[in-house]
Amino acid sequence: MERRTGAHLLLAIVLAIGVGAARAAEPVLVVMDPASGLDRLTREQVINIFLGRFRRLPNAQAAVPIDRSRDEALMTDFYRLLVDKSPAEIRAYWARLVFSGKTEPPQKAHDLDDMIERLANTPGAVAYIRPDELSERLRVVLGLGLGLGPEPGR
Amino acid sequence: MTAIRTRWHHSILARAGLILLGVLLLFGAVTVAINLHYNRARAEQATELRLSQLLDTVESTASIACFTRDDVLAGELIAGLLRNSEVLSVVVEADGVPLADSSRQATDAAAAVTPDSRVLVRDIYSPFSPQTPVGRVLLTPNQALIDQELRQETRILMLQMAMQLLLVALAFAAATLLLIIRPIKAISDRLHGMDATRGERLQVPAGHRGSEIGLLVADVNRLADRLVRTLEDERALRIQREIDEQRYHAIFENADTGLFQIDHQGLLSSWNPAFARLMGLSSETRPERELALLDLDWHDPQPLAELLSDCRNTGGNPRRDSGAQDTPRTQSAELRHTHPDGVERWLSVVLTPITDRSVQGVLHDVTHHLEAEQSARRLAVTDRITGMANQLGLEQRLRALIQASDPEAEPPRPERAIALVLISLDNFKRLSSGLDPAIGDALLTETARRLSSGIEGANLIARVGENQFALLMADPAPALEIERMLEQVFADAQQPVFIAGAPLTLTLSGGIAFHTGTVANPVATLFQHADLALASAQAGPGGPICFFDPDLARLAQERHQLETDLRHAIRDGQFVPFFQPLVDLQRGALVGAEVLIRWQHPQRGLVPPNAFIPLAEETGLINDMGRWILESAGRQLAAWQHAGRDLYLSVNVSAHQIPKGLTPDALHELAQRLGFAPASLALEITESILISDVDGAQAWLDAVRARGFRVFLDDFGTGYSSLSYLKRFTVDRLKIDQGFIRDLATNAGDRALVEAVTAIADSFGMQVVAEGVEDAEHVRRLRAMGCHYGQGYFFSPPVPLDAFSEVGRRIPELMQPFLDAAPGSNPEPAS
Repeated sequence: MERRTGAHLLLAIVLAIGVGAARAAEPVLVVMDPASGLDRLTREQVINIFLGRFRRLPNAQAAVPIDRSRDEALMTDFYRLLVDKSPAEIRAYWARLVFSGKTEPPQKAHDLDDMIERLANTPGAVAYIRPDELSERLRVVLGLGLGLGPEPGR
Repeated sequence: MTAIRTRWHHSILARAGLILLGVLLLFGAVTVAINLHYNRARAEQATELRLSQLLDTVESTASIACFTRDDVLAGELIAGLLRNSEVLSVVVEADGVPLADSSRQATDAAAAVTPDSRVLVRDIYSPFSPQTPVGRVLLTPNQALIDQELRQETRILMLQMAMQLLLVALAFAAATLLLIIRPIKAISDRLHGMDATRGERLQVPAGHRGSEIGLLVADVNRLADRLVRTLEDERALRIQREIDEQRYHAIFENADTGLFQIDHQGLLSSWNPAFARLMGLSSETRPERELALLDLDWHDPQPLAELLSDCRNTGGNPRRDSGAQDTPRTQSAELRHTHPDGVERWLSVVLTPITDRSVQGVLHDVTHHLEAEQSARRLAVTDRITGMANQLGLEQRLRALIQASDPEAEPPRPERAIALVLISLDNFKRLSSGLDPAIGDALLTETARRLSSGIEGANLIARVGENQFALLMADPAPALEIERMLEQVFADAQQPVFIAGAPLTLTLSGGIAFHTGTVANPVATLFQHADLALASAQAGPGGPICFFDPDLARLAQERHQLETDLRHAIRDGQFVPFFQPLVDLQRGALVGAEVLIRWQHPQRGLVPPNAFIPLAEETGLINDMGRWILESAGRQLAAWQHAGRDLYLSVNVSAHQIPKGLTPDALHELAQRLGFAPASLALEITESILISDVDGAQAWLDAVRARGFRVFLDDFGTGYSSLSYLKRFTVDRLKIDQGFIRDLATNAGDRALVEAVTAIADSFGMQVVAEGVEDAEHVRRLRAMGCHYGQGYFFSPPVPLDAFSEVGRRIPELMQPFLDAAPGSNPEPAS
């Protein structure tokens, strides 16, 4: 938990710095159930999972992405930070894929609790939260918009 | 004449049309091919573009499909693409692995995917990271469709082009027909029916006045004009030629001279009737037989043959360029010919070469002409009256003889002596002048006969002058024999000739000269020598026959020279008057002088008068000299009279000057002009004057004295004068010849004579002048005899004027002693 604290601190600093910039997406954390056995996902993997390209976890388990459908801002920031697309674009994306039936869009969680529950109940489920929504019931596998590593769209 | 129709494939329209069609088709094909090529490329490009754009539309879907490896989506996408007819087949790959593919159903072979079909490849990138390729879309265009479209397009294009070309061709055909074919056809039709000689000409088709067709028409018309003109000229020439030919033919047939033509082989090709007549050809020999000119009875055909070849060689070749050298040269000759009727004639043949190696000839009878010529020639050398040769004939023969004996000729000839004898009938002129000319001719003829018969060994006898005959002797006998023969002949010839009853006797003289070898002018020299010999025979004392003496020539030469000198002297004034004083013996005074002419010859010095006076008299120069002397004397008299001196001058007058050389009027004019008194001029004449021309002399004498001039009788007593002349001729003074005065002292006879003459003179009222007073004794005796005047060396010889005055002054003192002595005293008793 030392590490988490350090991360928190860093986060705070970066946030402070990042406040002055033009309205950028607020950081989003990609989480899984702690019992998933994974503690890290790459950005690409996250993209593949959430956008239906390759729904498999590194441990060969099937990945189940979950959207926070009601939290527009969160979704927006998430996808913005992930692939720099607007929700409309994502919807348009899923419109086409739905047609073929090969891939389904991510599950939709109503809220945070729903999301946590799904995470706990669905093996290989992956979702995303705001940093302040983090609890020990969630494991962060990837951080977006933290000012670490390259931003999407570059 | 129907118009000529052209075959359709020869016509302009067809040919041009075909050419045009060919060109257009070629052009069309080329255009279509090019079009095809470009269109195909363009179509393909366009297709590619469209297909590319098509791919653009599905790109996003394809990217999703490839990203998610959604084969259904990919299939849908492909299906959608295939709906486009330009798409043949599509393959979607994701990460190198074919996701889905499909292709259009092949309906025809062209739709099959050919290996070289262009395949469009579009790389698909992740929708979420554009740099990341996630797959490819491979699209094969439908070539067949393109081709089909292309073909369609091409067909349309071809159709379009065909339409255009057809229109162009039609337009062209129409234009050609209208502008070219029709007018040409019209012209052609008109030309066929046109008669240029009647003045018909082409008309310019409407609207073509300035075009090529119009110009062509104009040119054709001009050509027609020229041709018509040429035709007319030709016709005129032809007519002229016919006229000329007729004329020639008329001349040919009717000419009096024989005309003929021979060809290059020498055979007669044509001849006229006159020729036939001359050569004795019968009219049957008209062109059947071939006659050679040379074969016609010529006396000697050789010269004719030569003439012919000369003629041919000189000319008649018109192809040579050098002009003058090759003008046809006419050759002519006179040849003897025997006519078939036996008569021999001389025919003149004139041959002229004409251009085609033939020869044209003219023939006429010149027998009479030649005979006349010969006769004339003979006449030229014959004396008409005697029938002998004349001067010309003699000279010819002489020349021939000289040439025949010329040792310097080539080849040298043996030298022969040639002699010329000139015989003169001395008194013939005198005899025949009073007679009928016929008698004179008869006399000549008879003398000629006598000479001819008497002379032996003469090469030729000729009559060379009115009264002269000549003999030419080659290899003559020795001189003595000639002389003897001539004497004999002369004797015979000098026998009286009886004509019309009256006897006529001639006297002959002869001069003989021999031809000497090398002289410049042998004939003239021989004549000259013979002439001199004759003159010498006539003039000299020795016999009627005289041989030429070289001295004679020399003398003649000298005489000639003297005569020339004399003429120069007169012209240049080489004469000087000398004066010999005349003294009055009784009074002892100078009364005048005799003027004597002296000649200052530039080379010979002072020439004495007897050296040139006789020649002057012979040549008539005496007149000029006399006038000159008189002029000098007159001037001197005028001077004296002006000075108040009373002197007279006497001038010798030659018989030859009387009466025409010194007319009384001339004397009068002289006195008037120079201004002297006529009485102061005396003219001295000799007795011979009075004898020779009695009447004329008397008249002259009287006329001169009537004018106031005085006349002295010179050399009295020496001539044939009879004393009766003194009665007939009135003179003023007698001059006793010095011959009587010289021996006055010693010869009593002379004394008596002088006395007697003085007495006679006195009685006639004349005075006496004694010539040749040489000494005092003469003076004394003459004074005693009563002689009035004296002249001689005692007083002075003839002296020039400047000396004369001095001499004249001394006369009184010279005479003084005689005057002092008693008049008439005679120191010596008469014996």
